[in-house]
Amino acid sequence: MSFLSLQVNKSGRSVLMTGNEAITRGAIEAGLGYAASYPGSPTSEILANLGRLAKEYNFYAEWSVNEKVAIEEAAAASFAGLRSLCIAKQNGLNVALDSLVSISISGIKAGMVLVVGDDPGAHSSTNEEDSRLLSKVVHIPILEPSTPEEAKEMTLAAFQLSEKFKLPVTLRCVTRISHASGNVTLGEVEAVNKEAIFAQKDRFVTNAALHQMQEVKLAKLRQVADTLPFNTYFGPQNAKTIIIASGPSTLYALEAIDALDLENEVGVLKLGMTWPLPEKFLLEHLKHAEKVIFIEEIEPFNEENVMVLAAQHISKIYPLEFYGQRSGHVAGPKGPGIGEMDPDKVKQSIARVLGVDNKSEETDAKSSAKSETSDVPVREMAFCAGCPHRASFWAMKSAVALDGRKAVILGDIGCYSLALRRTGWTLPQTMHAMGSSAGIANGLGKLDRFNFKQPVIAVVGDSTFFHSTIPALVNARYTGAHFLLIVLDNGTTAMTGHQPHPGMSKNAMGEIVEGLQIEEVVKGLRIPVVTQDPFDLQGTTTVVLKLLRTEGTKVLVLRQPCALVAAKASTRPRVYINQEQCIGDDCGCSRFCSTTFSCPATIWDPLKGKAIIDEVVCNRCQVCVSLCPQGAIKVEEGANFGR
Amino acid sequence: MEQSKMPSWLRKEVMESGDCTRCGLCVGLCPYIKTQHEHVAFIHDCSRVDGNCYRVCPRTQTNWVDLDRQVFGTERTDHGLGNYLKVLYARSLNKEITRAGQYGGVVSTLAAYMVESGQSQAAVLTRGEDNGPPTPYLARNREEVLACSGSNYSASPSLSILNTGVFEGLEDLTTVGRPCQILALRKMQGLNEASQHNPSARKVNFMIGLFCFWALETEFYSFLQIKTEGERILRLDIPQNYLVATTEKGNVQVPIDELRAFVRPTCLRCFDPTAEFADVSVGSTENDPEWNTLVIRSSKGQEIVNRVCTAGLLETKPYPEERLPLLLSAVYKKKKRVLEGLKQGKGYMYLNLNSDYAKGIEEGGTGL
Amino acid sequence: MAAKVLNIIVTGVGGQGNVLASQVIATAAVDSGYYVSVGETFGASQRGGSVASHIRVSQIKPYGPLIPRGEADFILGFEPLETLRTFRDFGNSSTQVIMNIRPNYPLGVLLNEDHYPDIAVLTGGLRRKSQRLWDLEATELAVGLGLPVGTNMVMTGAFAGVYALQIQLETYETILKGMFDREILTLNLAAFRAGVKAVTI
Repeated sequence: MSFLSLQVNKSGRSVLMTGNEAITRGAIEAGLGYAASYPGSPTSEILANLGRLAKEYNFYAEWSVNEKVAIEEAAAASFAGLRSLCIAKQNGLNVALDSLVSISISGIKAGMVLVVGDDPGAHSSTNEEDSRLLSKVVHIPILEPSTPEEAKEMTLAAFQLSEKFKLPVTLRCVTRISHASGNVTLGEVEAVNKEAIFAQKDRFVTNAALHQMQEVKLAKLRQVADTLPFNTYFGPQNAKTIIIASGPSTLYALEAIDALDLENEVGVLKLGMTWPLPEKFLLEHLKHAEKVIFIEEIEPFNEENVMVLAAQHISKIYPLEFYGQRSGHVAGPKGPGIGEMDPDKVKQSIARVLGVDNKSEETDAKSSAKSETSDVPVREMAFCAGCPHRASFWAMKSAVALDGRKAVILGDIGCYSLALRRTGWTLPQTMHAMGSSAGIANGLGKLDRFNFKQPVIAVVGDSTFFHSTIPALVNARYTGAHFLLIVLDNGTTAMTGHQPHPGMSKNAMGEIVEGLQIEEVVKGLRIPVVTQDPFDLQGTTTVVLKLLRTEGTKVLVLRQPCALVAAKASTRPRVYINQEQCIGDDCGCSRFCSTTFSCPATIWDPLKGKAIIDEVVCNRCQVCVSLCPQGAIKVEEGANFGR
Repeated sequence: MEQSKMPSWLRKEVMESGDCTRCGLCVGLCPYIKTQHEHVAFIHDCSRVDGNCYRVCPRTQTNWVDLDRQVFGTERTDHGLGNYLKVLYARSLNKEITRAGQYGGVVSTLAAYMVESGQSQAAVLTRGEDNGPPTPYLARNREEVLACSGSNYSASPSLSILNTGVFEGLEDLTTVGRPCQILALRKMQGLNEASQHNPSARKVNFMIGLFCFWALETEFYSFLQIKTEGERILRLDIPQNYLVATTEKGNVQVPIDELRAFVRPTCLRCFDPTAEFADVSVGSTENDPEWNTLVIRSSKGQEIVNRVCTAGLLETKPYPEERLPLLLSAVYKKKKRVLEGLKQGKGYMYLNLNSDYAKGIEEGGTGL
Repeated sequence: MAAKVLNIIVTGVGGQGNVLASQVIATAAVDSGYYVSVGETFGASQRGGSVASHIRVSQIKPYGPLIPRGEADFILGFEPLETLRTFRDFGNSSTQVIMNIRPNYPLGVLLNEDHYPDIAVLTGGLRRKSQRLWDLEATELAVGLGLPVGTNMVMTGAFAGVYALQIQLETYETILKGMFDREILTLNLAAFRAGVKAVTI
């Protein structure tokens, strides 16, 4: 957000940074040579900022086609002696996992850090997934920052550890680190030799025999963990109750203890390196404790690992009781491990375990605020005003209804997954991982031999098309699957904040490149492809209907720029509703524009009983103009609008 | 509020049950019902509890007696052909039309006369597409009318284009339609509600009804493509017991029995093969391809036919006495079958007749 | 600042620019020597969802990025419904509120299934329950200045103008000068000053 702070170059100065900016800064201070990523909340801003700073600090940054390629590139840079960074969200690590498993086995050369952004509470995700489990599978260490400041420090430390042990190191962030801001103290940018060379003696290969080496590395790392400053203990030295926390939960725990007046009774053990565990350090504190409370986000990862350690040493630390997700004590309203932690959940959990009064529950002031009488309607996510996806899905809905054979629409990952909600008339019947719609369409599209008669539509975005849809198209061509792939091409990776992708003529570093046309790729596979403007609803409906009635694999590209990009770039004329022509509830439309089409810019004026356009919200796409049965929605005359 | 006028019931009772005649009059009244490629469908459930779409549908509750009174000011005496003034043989005197049109070219002549004389701004027709279903067409001059001539046998929702024309500001329109379409127009004209929205049927100043005993599903065109081996079809006709498709490489004949699979089920429930509520109804003669059957029903129909004859564009002759029982027999046969279905509750519930009308059908045609 | 920590929530709807406003406020606080933590959610929720930034300012130590329920000292509401929602969850009788009174209707209201509270009733309720409410037509002020997207700067100015934090207006303006250029800067500064004025008179 505040890119400003990244431009400050005064060592020792404290600036406001988001966790993502702190990691960006940390990587630069560590002498980064190469960075690769695919966008995904909550970590998208790291590579976006690296791209902008690449020239100034002499490193390379790219938005890769997907995370598998990104991690392979980062490994390549490391093999050639450059410190490298790969950034992904939890789902992105899933995509990269196959490669990461073997990169861990082969080992690396220069420091290679993997930043994974987990999204507890799934603010911007389809799932809550604890990526730490995967790093454990891969046999690589995990650092978990608890503040943006620590995120920067850990980035630096991660490069050192990685280089020392010739292993990638995971920096596991959560949304409340990546998208939180705090004071960060700037350090010096390390002067690193960035000469790339693949030494003739070097071999980086995957071989089961190297498993032993991985275990040796982990054993050494276990000892290093005991000395790392990120693992610390706050509170009375012989506290009978200790809280083991990691990530931002640490601060919630400290605040809760303060609020519950337990500073003199309860200690907080902050785990900064959560794999492998600092075993000596942990055992030291487990010895004086009688009760241990685990607070962490998503899975009981620390909880289970520490419990195994405790079981191993039970004779030395007995008696000891464990409270956490497994015991059900540390939980939000939906149950243990579900949703993100917050200060209230943590305080309640601690109060529950210790049987103390959770003072904050109902003070007079708070009950006063809550007794505010009127109901507060929820605010559902919806397509933006002027979003081409609204038009595209309406055309699909129309074509499917007219086709009448109960076509199955398969959803995918992007802004358009909002179609699963009411804003897209809940049209998609499946949604899984990036590109999955095309894979599922491959399956359904060959069930005709089992009397399957429904047409199949897979819907992907432009970035998703490049990320992982192309292999499914190759498969469809090879196996003769009957389906229509609709690519909603809004010319950007919109959901995550408009990052460039291979179809665009700009790269992460702002350089002009030759964009790859989706149609070219499809034509190369000898699959028929049609291009259409989704704002022409009638035309789009006709094309979709026609393609639904055509055998084989077909691709339709619906091209119209993202409304948020178009709104910034264009001087489209004003759209308004002629108040004489709108006949309100007398119309047969049943408030179509404001309710059914539900563009946030078209609102209902309850006083006049007519529809009006909220001009502050309207992005002037003009699609509603063609939908009003009274022709009451007008475009201001005299203005010019070409598309 | 009568619950049964809800648009959602139209969806359930008429569209999803396959009873939709595809007249097209509900298309364009609102943004919820759309048509493409002869299909008519609800795109989205409309929350209205009362919709004109339901009221004007030829397959929702229709009171035959009231419609007779509304259109002709009187109940009928002839339960076979309905209200009419004259039944005649007629044909065009214009060579251009008789060459392009089917049989006597009466429909094209009347429609062309209406737009050419300026009495109508446009005529609602269908225009043949290469080898596919025809598309609804608004003909605004003689050439455009003639471009629409020739028979087709599927159910084009052509009234949708009437709504478009009225939406665009056209005032007086001639409409050529199947009996179900004429019925829908009359139902809309008879709406009591002071309605601001698009009562397009009130802009129709001349209704030419077509005889229609059944229409075919759109899939018929794909079937035909196989029969004609993809050749461009220039003309379709059903002279006797087979369909003749004329292509550049000659005629292809298809036995009528092969078409039965494509007859739309809703047509079997149709009570009105001769467009009883039109100003004039036009059909073939079944024995003379040079002529059409012309039923003049309303005084307006009579007036316009008179003008067209005076202008030397059309000639008529008496309907051969021996042929009338044949026509009536076919009509009664269809009506009795529907009435029987109605009694057995086989989904013919739209039809609302009084006892006189029902008795008229039961007793009609017996002496033929 | 008497208390250990001042808890500020900036709340609104995705796309209103409230994240930027929270960054300006937080940067001003850091530049004035405070410990600051900001917790915010952006990403998918910018698509018409509720967006709230928690800003925690302290002279003592860094706090966690989320404010406990009922403990907001200040709410800067870009949209009435979101202000009410935030006040119900995080407000108390000593909370101060600045609210833009222009509604942005949620999907449920557009669909005619939910009822948007009457603005006068909502404002009256907040005025009664909170310690102080400043209600202003921030969007109209921004539109009037020729910068319809300038609601966030008007609101930032309003926050600066009530001096919940002892930060000089120049500190905010310096930050804006680092963020914008030329005519865009002029417009944003005008919006910021209009916000200051709206709460000063």
